[in-house]
Amino acid sequence: MISRRSAIPVWFRFALRELRGGLSGFKIFMGCLILGVMALASIGSLTRAIEQGLADQGQIILGGDIEVSKFQIPITPEEDAWLSTLGDLATSSRLRTMARTPDGSGTLVELRAVDQLYPLYGELVTTPSQDNAALFDKRGDHYGTAISPLLADNMELAVGDKLRLGTIEFEIRALIDSEPDKANQGFELGPSVMIREAALAETGLVTVGSLINHVRKIRIANPLQVDAVRAQIREEYPTAGWRVRTHKTSAAGLRRFIDRMGEFLVLVGLTALVVGGLGVGNAVTGYMDRKTKTIATLKILGAEGGTVFKVYFAQIMIIGVLSIIIGLIAGMWLPAVLAEFLPDTLPVSPTQGIYPDALGLAALYGLLITIAFTAWPLGKARDLPAVHLFRSIVSPGSKAPRLAYQILILAAVFTVVALAIGLSGNAGLSAAFLAATIVSLGLLWATARCIQYVAKKLPRQKNPLIRMAIANLHRPGAATTSVVVSLGLGLTLFASLALIQGNLDERLEGEVSGQAPAFFFVDIQGSDLTDFKDTVGGIEGVSDLRLVPNLRGKVKSLNGVPAQDWETTGSRWVLSGDRGLTYSDDLPASNQIVEGDWWPKGYSGPPQISMGAEVARDLGLSIGDTLVITVLGVDLEVTIRSFREINWGSMGFNFVIMFDPNTLRDAPHTWMATLKAEGDAERVAHNTITRTFDTVTAIRMKEVLERVNVMLEQVSVAISATAIVAIFAGVLVLAGAIAAGFRQRLYESVILKVVGAVKSQILRAYLLEYLLLGVITATIALGLGALAGWAVVEKQMNITFTLLPGPMVTVVAISLGITILFGLASSLKALSATPNSVLRSE
Amino acid sequence: MTASDAPTTNPIISLNDVSLTLSSGAGPVRIIRHVSLDILPGETVGIVGPSGSGKSSLMSLMTGLEQVTSGDLIVDGLSLPGCDEDRLAKHRLDRIGIVMQAFHLIPTMTALENVAVPLELAGIKDAFERAERELDAVGLGHRIEHYPAQLSGGEQQRVALARAIAPEPAMLFGDEPTGNLDGNTGHAIIDLIFELQRKRSSTLILVTHDPSLADRCDRVISMSDGEIVDDTGNTASVQIADETAERTS
Repeated sequence: MISRRSAIPVWFRFALRELRGGLSGFKIFMGCLILGVMALASIGSLTRAIEQGLADQGQIILGGDIEVSKFQIPITPEEDAWLSTLGDLATSSRLRTMARTPDGSGTLVELRAVDQLYPLYGELVTTPSQDNAALFDKRGDHYGTAISPLLADNMELAVGDKLRLGTIEFEIRALIDSEPDKANQGFELGPSVMIREAALAETGLVTVGSLINHVRKIRIANPLQVDAVRAQIREEYPTAGWRVRTHKTSAAGLRRFIDRMGEFLVLVGLTALVVGGLGVGNAVTGYMDRKTKTIATLKILGAEGGTVFKVYFAQIMIIGVLSIIIGLIAGMWLPAVLAEFLPDTLPVSPTQGIYPDALGLAALYGLLITIAFTAWPLGKARDLPAVHLFRSIVSPGSKAPRLAYQILILAAVFTVVALAIGLSGNAGLSAAFLAATIVSLGLLWATARCIQYVAKKLPRQKNPLIRMAIANLHRPGAATTSVVVSLGLGLTLFASLALIQGNLDERLEGEVSGQAPAFFFVDIQGSDLTDFKDTVGGIEGVSDLRLVPNLRGKVKSLNGVPAQDWETTGSRWVLSGDRGLTYSDDLPASNQIVEGDWWPKGYSGPPQISMGAEVARDLGLSIGDTLVITVLGVDLEVTIRSFREINWGSMGFNFVIMFDPNTLRDAPHTWMATLKAEGDAERVAHNTITRTFDTVTAIRMKEVLERVNVMLEQVSVAISATAIVAIFAGVLVLAGAIAAGFRQRLYESVILKVVGAVKSQILRAYLLEYLLLGVITATIALGLGALAGWAVVEKQMNITFTLLPGPMVTVVAISLGITILFGLASSLKALSATPNSVLRSE
Repeated sequence: MTASDAPTTNPIISLNDVSLTLSSGAGPVRIIRHVSLDILPGETVGIVGPSGSGKSSLMSLMTGLEQVTSGDLIVDGLSLPGCDEDRLAKHRLDRIGIVMQAFHLIPTMTALENVAVPLELAGIKDAFERAERELDAVGLGHRIEHYPAQLSGGEQQRVALARAIAPEPAMLFGDEPTGNLDGNTGHAIIDLIFELQRKRSSTLILVTHDPSLADRCDRVISMSDGEIVDDTGNTASVQIADETAERTS
């Protein structure tokens, strides 16, 4: 028998023997820990599985080993010739444009023109299944096209129908089931349409200044040498303005999103684990109370305090580790379950497997939280006087455990915080989230104690049922603190997330019906500008037409320092790729000069720009600094004349970099426009403009915002699901606290019956008690949740915060529902006992 | 004959002007008041008195379960005031066995394991062999793998007694050891306690309500309201105690 082997330390032998008592007193302990660890293991495993999926499918997602792309400016034949020496070279182009049916109705699509080699990796799956040539080559008068089933549905198109792109008609030959490199495309505003690259030139969509991304994908002989080849490209064409990506860095935006999302969900999951930690702590406190006699006996028999601590610490750790293992096993299956049952929820197919680093981290968090929440009652048990076995008149006191145990708790908490912040890509967000969680915990605890104090000091109520309900809030062993803190923290999290999401939704919906324009029009040719104005002017119900010139350019250097070497405190994105540029005689209405001044009308001096103030601050720029900006292949040295505060929420055109009109007026460029249209005018404007101007692309604001909303909802589902785990953990803690007080409740209800109370009276008193508890918890959670929501919405997002009734009612309903349901379930059980059976056993 | 009249043998327990005051919700409670007392090695002492007289508290002080509020208390050469809990626990492990009214066996351990606890704590290699011998000695050799819940009250008290004497303590304390047992079983346990005390020459201090049990001791100390009100002994018994003290000193 292991528990008798003298080779094993005596404390461990005793711990094993104590475990013979079974795990019945540890159900809540285990439930809380399993739930929290499962959430973290799920999140970690899913994040790693998607990352691994991205890594494993890097070539397929990128569509090659290396991708070279350039915005607006075509890659020259000479450059193509050199690139083709590196391996198989596939040519493609991407742009947003209007697809039209023969009757002229049109919609925005993401158009991709590919050559015969597409795809270099993976498979383009279509219905009916056809090869590249059959899909896209010219047959008779028409090139072929493959379109998204969504577009077919929206425009009531079928295979064999015609689709107009620019100036020519294509024959729909198949519907796209899956594009191998879809995840690499980033945010898309419309459904996919694919055509032959050669056909694109005939559409009339390619003009100077068109917003086209010219892409080359290369399959090299030895993919392991991809970094060397990338370096070779950089060396050969250092100033070509190419964006070069490898299969290791494909879908960079998606990778960043997955990382950030994973990190945020870990924080939310940690909150669930902290809530569970309260249940763990309560369970251990209750267990140690039940073990008082055994502990005192051990001490009487000569066990030192340290031995007693080790005996129970070992037990708790054994049960904790068992719970953690169960949580890990349950959590590691989430990627497989999602891939099997909800494949469309994931951006790429996750690579199935066991991810030891993710599981290890979840286990470590579980272990640290267990230590943090159990060291206090265990430490107190260490100093439990042996005389407790004999004496009960001594006031129990609430002596804190020794300093060593307090340090142990602090060390565990510190390690959790350090890990969460240290492993995060956004340390500030993590620190703020954890600080908010810790402050919320403190406030919830303090409020709960205040409520108990106030309940105790309230004047005696005449109604005995009310008196009993209030007394139950503050009596020794009352569940008030446990319920308010544990359920309150989960609800606070839920309330803040719901309010943040609700405010964002309101804002988006408000923009659609309010200040946002109905349409953005892009690729308006300079030659069409007058006609465009006239056409719009002729449509009834259309107003507020705003036109801005549109160019793309890349910051090459700042004060002589190459952009890639410039040190910044943020806004690196401004330097890392092509940026939208414009010019204007007048300061835009939504902008305000905060430093320097605006150029005078008709300015004709050396090139000058005005920059967004926030970006300029991040980049450390001052008025008078010089930048070299490459526009359409020409390097322009410009001087900063002013900084502007930009109102990004104005939903109009906003540019970080604005040129004086003199510098860019004569450069080839297109125009963009916004307009407002109400009611039927919106449909008329869309149809009229897209039918009149073949190359103009109309982006309907409502659809963009709806897509943003869909994305937000997907994100919100993931966050809410994790937050609900925190509420579940809170429910477990509440159930544990109520169960712990069951015996007292049972005795109390029996005594009340003995003195003449009827069931319904007692039940009403309990109902009132749990109603009070539910309302109090909901009120505090709403207060704290609203505070957190306000801080994020007003201070981080610069959006006006509104207390929305929907989330508030939900929080109150959840709180009341849970407390009353669990409280009354326990009370009904207590009420069903007959006085005799209980009193005989006392 | 009182302790002060005893031959010049060093007492194994010595209390000098000992008081114990405890705090409670209702304010301080004076439990023991200025008690002075010497107990010689090998003596059997009965401490009697009504409920609340302080007899159990006196035992708690002598076993190091409670610290004196004032006064000196030396047990087997160790001055207990000022010792921390761990030092006192170690002292009990080495020198003291205690049998309690409510047995206080550890419910998750078998009879054998319960008896082995102090031996294991002392780091004794053959703890289980010794525990088995002790259970044999109290007549429970056939019940060693039973859990406390599977034993009768008398059997549980025998296990508790075996556990108390297993480390061969110099002093054996009993706090109402028969209080939870019926008359016959109680007498059997008491017989066993005295038999083991005689065989091992240990000092025995019994806290009891039962005058007939106290009468079997060399010396009877009566307490009331935290004070010793009487301290008597029978000469023959004290003679035996003196001889035992001479043998062990």
